[in-house]
Amino acid sequence: MQQQQVRQFVERYLATFSAHILESHPDYFTVKLPVEVDKDIGNRPFYWSWVDKMNLAYQPLVLTFTFHPDCTPEGLRSEHLHLGATRMQQIFSSAKKHGSFVCMYEQQGGLLGNAGKRRSTPLVPWLGMNLKVSLLCDKRRDILLYLGINLHQPRLVTDFTSFLFSLSLTPAIPDYYYTLDRKVTIQEALQMAQLEVEHTLEQEDQQWAEEARTRLSEELAILEAYYEELARREPENEQTKAEETEETEQPEAQSSLEQEALQPEPDPAGPASVEQPISFDEYRASGGRILDFLRTNGIQITPREEIQQGEWKKSTPDEERQRRKDELAWQYEPRIEVSFINGGLFYLSSVPPLTRSSKAKSMRHLPASGRIM
Amino acid sequence: MPNVPISFDTSWINPLTERMQEDGPWDKWELFKLSLEAEEAMAVHDFDQLQCLKYLPLLSPFPHQLETAKRVLLEMRGRAILADEVGLGKTIEAGLIMKEYMVRGLAKKILVLVPASLVIQWTKELHQKFGIAAVAQKKEYMWRQHEVVVASIDTAKRDPHRRHVLDIDYDMLIIDEAHKLKNKRTRNYQFVKEIRKKYCLLLTATPIQNEMDELYNLINLLKPGHLGHTSTFSTNYVEGKRQSKNSEKLREEIEKVMIRNKRSDGGIQFTSRRVQSIPIDLSPEEMTLYEGVTRFVREQYQTGLGVGGFNSLALITLQREVCSSKEAAFMTLYNMHQRTGEDSPLRTQILELVEMIKQIETHSKAAKTVELIQQINDKVIIFTEYRATQNYLQKYLHDHGITSVPFRGGFKRSKKDWMTDLFQNRAQVLIATEAGGEGINLQFCNQVINYDMPWNPMRVEQRIGRVHRLGQKRDVHIYNLSTTGTIEEHILKLLYEKIDLFEMVIGELDDIVERLNLSHSLEDNLVQIIMDSRSSKEMALKLDNIGHAIRASKITKDAVPLSEAADQ
Repeated sequence: MQQQQVRQFVERYLATFSAHILESHPDYFTVKLPVEVDKDIGNRPFYWSWVDKMNLAYQPLVLTFTFHPDCTPEGLRSEHLHLGATRMQQIFSSAKKHGSFVCMYEQQGGLLGNAGKRRSTPLVPWLGMNLKVSLLCDKRRDILLYLGINLHQPRLVTDFTSFLFSLSLTPAIPDYYYTLDRKVTIQEALQMAQLEVEHTLEQEDQQWAEEARTRLSEELAILEAYYEELARREPENEQTKAEETEETEQPEAQSSLEQEALQPEPDPAGPASVEQPISFDEYRASGGRILDFLRTNGIQITPREEIQQGEWKKSTPDEERQRRKDELAWQYEPRIEVSFINGGLFYLSSVPPLTRSSKAKSMRHLPASGRIM
Repeated sequence: MPNVPISFDTSWINPLTERMQEDGPWDKWELFKLSLEAEEAMAVHDFDQLQCLKYLPLLSPFPHQLETAKRVLLEMRGRAILADEVGLGKTIEAGLIMKEYMVRGLAKKILVLVPASLVIQWTKELHQKFGIAAVAQKKEYMWRQHEVVVASIDTAKRDPHRRHVLDIDYDMLIIDEAHKLKNKRTRNYQFVKEIRKKYCLLLTATPIQNEMDELYNLINLLKPGHLGHTSTFSTNYVEGKRQSKNSEKLREEIEKVMIRNKRSDGGIQFTSRRVQSIPIDLSPEEMTLYEGVTRFVREQYQTGLGVGGFNSLALITLQREVCSSKEAAFMTLYNMHQRTGEDSPLRTQILELVEMIKQIETHSKAAKTVELIQQINDKVIIFTEYRATQNYLQKYLHDHGITSVPFRGGFKRSKKDWMTDLFQNRAQVLIATEAGGEGINLQFCNQVINYDMPWNPMRVEQRIGRVHRLGQKRDVHIYNLSTTGTIEEHILKLLYEKIDLFEMVIGELDDIVERLNLSHSLEDNLVQIIMDSRSSKEMALKLDNIGHAIRASKITKDAVPLSEAADQ
């Protein structure tokens, strides 16, 4: 994403929430964050649980974003936005959160046909789904698929999304249109999509998976040989005994000193201390800190996992071998993950072009939005 | 794809079905598009091309750092020992690799284990340079709550922390100063061995390849069995403790898991050092004081320790301080005075010296320094060994209209950062009593004044190393102040002319000092020579000899076959 695109993206994102831009300059702009945006990207969960719990008026956050590291506004706290910026990633997740499922209707241009004839036009229901197919081993590659499935008459097309972008769509059903029944269930559509994904993968180069498997088996062979030799040369009990005696030679004095210094402070929101729900006023009256109140009532703290805190024992060579084997499989084993980016229902009168021509195949790797980033 | 398992995300089915039944709520079309565009921007279209740079527009890594990152990714598959020489930016390499795996979605849960003193610095660097939201581990819940945690290994290995760490599957484990894990019998080693990890980076600057066993242990942490079983390894590769055989084969094996970039590899350009001695003539009064103190110190030293109640350290300190400034010497004399008995004859001697100090009105060294700073007309760092000198200088510079900030080892980290910041943006001069302070970057300055000389060459190197490092874009100017006719002059001659200290390639000194085991002994030797010599001629001669010895060892770099094996 070039900086120009970053800026456009952020501006479009803010515009959908009707954000108020206070100042716009070629190199930066200042914006007053709307509530939803603030909650997603404002980094102030404490504030929000406070405002929500106390029912207070919301004080908007005002941020200045710059797009060139060298051109920052004088006397203003500003933040450089780029693809890798944490805030940018938050904006991305926020867009994802609010842009997962849509329902859109096609509106044919011109009032001519329908208004005049007063004859209704049918709209065909389509399920559109954008998928990310990730090929994973110790490396990764993604393939994006933009599938469309006709829910009236089972049929699947690829590159559906770019076709959608060429239409004029509206969120409400236009006058003089009616929708055809959905005869295909979502489950059936899912199966069609799964078949299509498999079909696509068959046409991909398989080498990456084969190579990953070869690497895995080579590493496993080395590992096996090593642990076999280890078992042969150092019978288990002898080895552990030797190492345990060494352990006791550790300088304990120093480490216990450090231990004192490094002991974590007791957790303010200790597990059992303020478990019962009490009202805020009661809590304050009993001298509690506001922060603790929020912690116990709003902000989640990971519960102390149920883990054994007993004496620790070194793993045996067998356990160690198994662990290393698991690690290797985890690292190398080829696998494919198909994740759902977003999707929705589309009622269309236009018919998407047939696909799986050679052209369509080469198109598949181009982003549907037509923006190369 | 044959036999490759496919997991198909179906978590969207229920929310979509619900919305279809209820006819809403539906999201906005524009956000739908934006969401897709975001996903497209972040998708990884290529197995092998480095992705992380488009997320790091403000970082410009050096070619060797990029090369290293690529090799770790493509050849070593994310498990490697990064063993670059000091100052070549191992942290940057580790950060690049980490970011790359994060960007590819292959690493989320990451643990960085470093010495306690570096936890904050690592956290900060990951934030600032790589936009990685790392947190410094402080409380127990943080192990689970946060994705990228930086912690000290000594904390992590103890309960209750250990239980958490050993219970988590880490996508990536990074260990800084990994040479501390060379002994497989230590608890730290055992602990690290138990951590479950997918990718693993071990960072070390010490040339570990000098010790066969240590190298073996480190590699075994990374890839057990890569060099075979201990005994197989010994039979195949080990000749003696530091001697290898089958070097060629061993080198190949080591190269599969370890990358060591060296300054001498070329391609890494350091600017040059321009060293200048600034001779200073003392005023007659100052010379009287110097001679008085020298005589006093030598007498006390030779009449034996314990008699006057002064230990040798105090005496040597006094001797060195008098070369630095009268203020520094005064403080020590004052303390000595307080410590001696009321009627001790030493008291009169000390008072005589103090009287000499009172006679002095000039300060030749400080005056010369001001002159020098005005002439340089740029940012300058002044190093001195003594607090008293530092305070005096700050006042003196202030009186002459030069802005300066102090810098001491005792400052808290935040204060150090603040002072660095002030120096960069407000003040012309930084007066530092210590060269250390890991992670304090002063590359924006290229002028260094050694107001007095440490007697330990490593300290001199550390001072210069603050500014002469990767990222320094200009030549570095070093000015050594030397008062004519004093010990200082001799020391400087030794360090400067005989050892060629200042012209050495950075890092070369480490090797020599390590090889001759010099770091302590050189300083001790100097003390002995200076205190025991009856005349300055004798002293000069002895210093000369030391210089020759070091020179000799520098030229005949005795064979260290294994280091060659791993280095070439």
